[in-house]
Amino acid sequence: MSRSSLTTTAFAALGLAGLALTGCAASTSEAEESTADSADGVEPTTITLYTSEPQEKADELVAAFNRIHPEITVEVFRAGTGDLTTRVATEQESGEIQADVFLAADAPTFENYAADGLLQEYTPADVDALDPAVVDPEGYYTGTRIIPTVIAYNTDAIAEAPSSWADLTDAEYADKLVMPNPDVSGAAAYNAAVWLDEEQLGEEWLAALAENRPVIADSNGPVSQAVASGTQPVGIVVDYLVRELADQGSPIAVAYPSEGVPYVSQPVGIFADSENVEASRAFVDFLVSTDGQELAVEQSYLPVRSDVGTPEGAPELADIAILSPDLETIRSTQAEAVETFRGLFQ
Amino acid sequence: MTVVLWVVCGAMVIAPIAAIIILSAGGSQLGVLLQGDVVEAAVNSLVSATTSALAAVVLGAGFAVLFERTDLRHRRTLRLVALTPLLMPPFVGAIAWLGVAGPSSPLNVWWRQMFGAPLWSIYGADGVIMLLTVHSYPLAMLVVSAALRRIPSDLEQAARISGAAPARTVFSVTVPLLRPALLSSFLLIAVGNLADFGIPSIIGLPERYVTLATLVYRYLQSGIVEEPLAVVATIGVVILILAAVALLLISLIGRRGWELDASSSPVQLLPLGRARTPVGAAIWALVLGITLLPLLALLSQTLLKAPGLALTIENLTLDNFGAALTSATALAGAANSVMLAGLAALACGVLGLGIGVLTTRTSARAVRGMNSVAMLPQAVPGIVIAVAWLILAPRIGLFNTPWLILAAYITSFTALVVQSVTAPLASTPRSAEEAARVSGAGRLRALIDISTRMALPAAISGAVVVAATAVRELTLSVLLLSPGSQTLGVAIFNFQQAGAFHTAAAWSLIVAVFGIALIGVATRRST
Repeated sequence: MSRSSLTTTAFAALGLAGLALTGCAASTSEAEESTADSADGVEPTTITLYTSEPQEKADELVAAFNRIHPEITVEVFRAGTGDLTTRVATEQESGEIQADVFLAADAPTFENYAADGLLQEYTPADVDALDPAVVDPEGYYTGTRIIPTVIAYNTDAIAEAPSSWADLTDAEYADKLVMPNPDVSGAAAYNAAVWLDEEQLGEEWLAALAENRPVIADSNGPVSQAVASGTQPVGIVVDYLVRELADQGSPIAVAYPSEGVPYVSQPVGIFADSENVEASRAFVDFLVSTDGQELAVEQSYLPVRSDVGTPEGAPELADIAILSPDLETIRSTQAEAVETFRGLFQ
Repeated sequence: MTVVLWVVCGAMVIAPIAAIIILSAGGSQLGVLLQGDVVEAAVNSLVSATTSALAAVVLGAGFAVLFERTDLRHRRTLRLVALTPLLMPPFVGAIAWLGVAGPSSPLNVWWRQMFGAPLWSIYGADGVIMLLTVHSYPLAMLVVSAALRRIPSDLEQAARISGAAPARTVFSVTVPLLRPALLSSFLLIAVGNLADFGIPSIIGLPERYVTLATLVYRYLQSGIVEEPLAVVATIGVVILILAAVALLLISLIGRRGWELDASSSPVQLLPLGRARTPVGAAIWALVLGITLLPLLALLSQTLLKAPGLALTIENLTLDNFGAALTSATALAGAANSVMLAGLAALACGVLGLGIGVLTTRTSARAVRGMNSVAMLPQAVPGIVIAVAWLILAPRIGLFNTPWLILAAYITSFTALVVQSVTAPLASTPRSAEEAARVSGAGRLRALIDISTRMALPAAISGAVVVAATAVRELTLSVLLLSPGSQTLGVAIFNFQQAGAFHTAAAWSLIVAVFGIALIGVATRRST
């Protein structure tokens, strides 16, 4: 932390209190100076995690990780994937990336980072137990949950559920739809690219959807809330939120569109600049370990390994139609897709 | 001492404002100002700020006249209750009002079942204006009440004796005398509302009602424009110019104002006559509707098991409260907020005390203007101060540290202490200092031993106000946040944005009740 004389003078007013607090900001350098070895062989460290996991889930994740690695403090910074990538870009420009580990929605973002040399290679322990579809063949990132985007509907308000993406363009659903903003949500940005790439849907379908004037909520959380409370009785949203609310008793259910559902895998990667490699790797290992995946299932996610069961009420992945487009196409068109979306909906 | 204070003033006030002006003066982004969405946001900001300020002044002045000058029953209690929206951060108010008039509030759901469409959805322009009004009328009420107390009731009595009815007396005697107070509170509120972030982002965005504050936030967070900092600096300067014009108008009005001799005769209350009971009932209903209803809505949102369920006993649970209270993020946010607010109070207290004492107790040429510089940020919308510090941050090594938020707090809130120190000092004669000098104390010694000690209680109460304001602040910290330095306001805002509505509601309730209780205790002690 270097400071100019201006600020030093400003902070002189704070006197001792300021000094005492500088010590409070647990900086990495301080953590590195500490030499006490823990039983696991990882030194007490602080790592910073940038993630788009919902805050409560991120807190649970860190708590579970700390039961195994109490010596590693994980500082969580949560925001939508779009906001996180902006932050990373700003930090890259004005110094160094503050995060060690990045855990966010979609593989294309990670492909871009890998191409720009921002990520370091790491293949987690126990990789053979994972669904090979979510593991980056080049080893820069690994998927941690399967998150399909589905149609959710309010069972009090909607008698017959829409059964396809095409159904949603029906005038019957005008002013009844809600969906997340791809500027903020990584899953939504990915979906936009997949829909545009899909032959049966494409821009024509997206334009027709826009004519039904869907409400654009900032992220998936408010979308599921709006559907559950009946504000907008039909929503396009990630599936686990629907399962969670249904568990709590909300009148909400999932419809799997017949054209297929796009899914993201919430990949995790370690930034090349990270100085806390050991601790970061331990965190990545934990995410895809049996313990980490059991927590994921508890949190209503579909897991990436087959030996931990599935959340109650979740379908087998084999039973639903999946849209799995060419990743490279999606990577190269995603920014443009978000732009198209913004043009049509805002 | 003077030099040190000038340096600090310069670093905390002049440097950030200069930074934002310099960055935008490059002119590379001037074209941005003519873009459709920026123009639309500017129009929305102007319209919502002026209409809400107008409504707030009408409502606030109405309350002030009723509570100060009529024989309404329970005037003092009503006055206290009517002030409570001031104690609730605007974004907490927004979250609370969603439960009252949001599209899925019990009222709207019921209305939709009966008549097919919701009664009134708070989302959009009308909701933003209504909420801005609710959160700013207490300020108008305070300003107008203070002005009313300086207007002798002799004039009103004269009108009454000449045969004017009470209503006519109010409108043809009292209101014209209040004109300067009405105008200056209108401008103060309009400037404040111009850059409020919480209300338009929670209430306006779902219907794509974008204001400059939410536009700046979106530009900075989601990187949808090239060179976001230069763009928002340009927008910031526009807001700054609007605020400066308003400030100029306020000082012009102040100069034109006239002093009436205070009257020693007791205030004659205007009798409401037969209207006394119905007016009382109507005012009670209005005041309770504005203050209690949102709190009850927060409570029901917190206790309801899951969204979409009916509000019945078996659907209520305390689990959400427990989960919210143990949320690591919220607790860390609360700790950060308390730490930052405490430091800000300390820094602003020391700085404000120094500036206040120097500018009222010495007449050296070097201190001239210092008062104005220190008071300047009061007229600068928070969002401009935040952007200014964002520009400075990488150059002074504060990027991504919590100290950036602290710096912005000091810039914004020092004026509060200066104000509370200057007022009592300016009205006490300098005889005590003179006595000290005569007894042989040096100038500095007299200043420290006498003036500073005299001003200390005022500085402390100013610092308490700073702490109370900073601890629940959102606009500055939402733009300046960095990993590990989320404030409580940001934590609550994020819960709301991410759809964890019950957690957001639980913490909003805590913040609201805590704020009201704190002020309740403070006022009890002072009476």
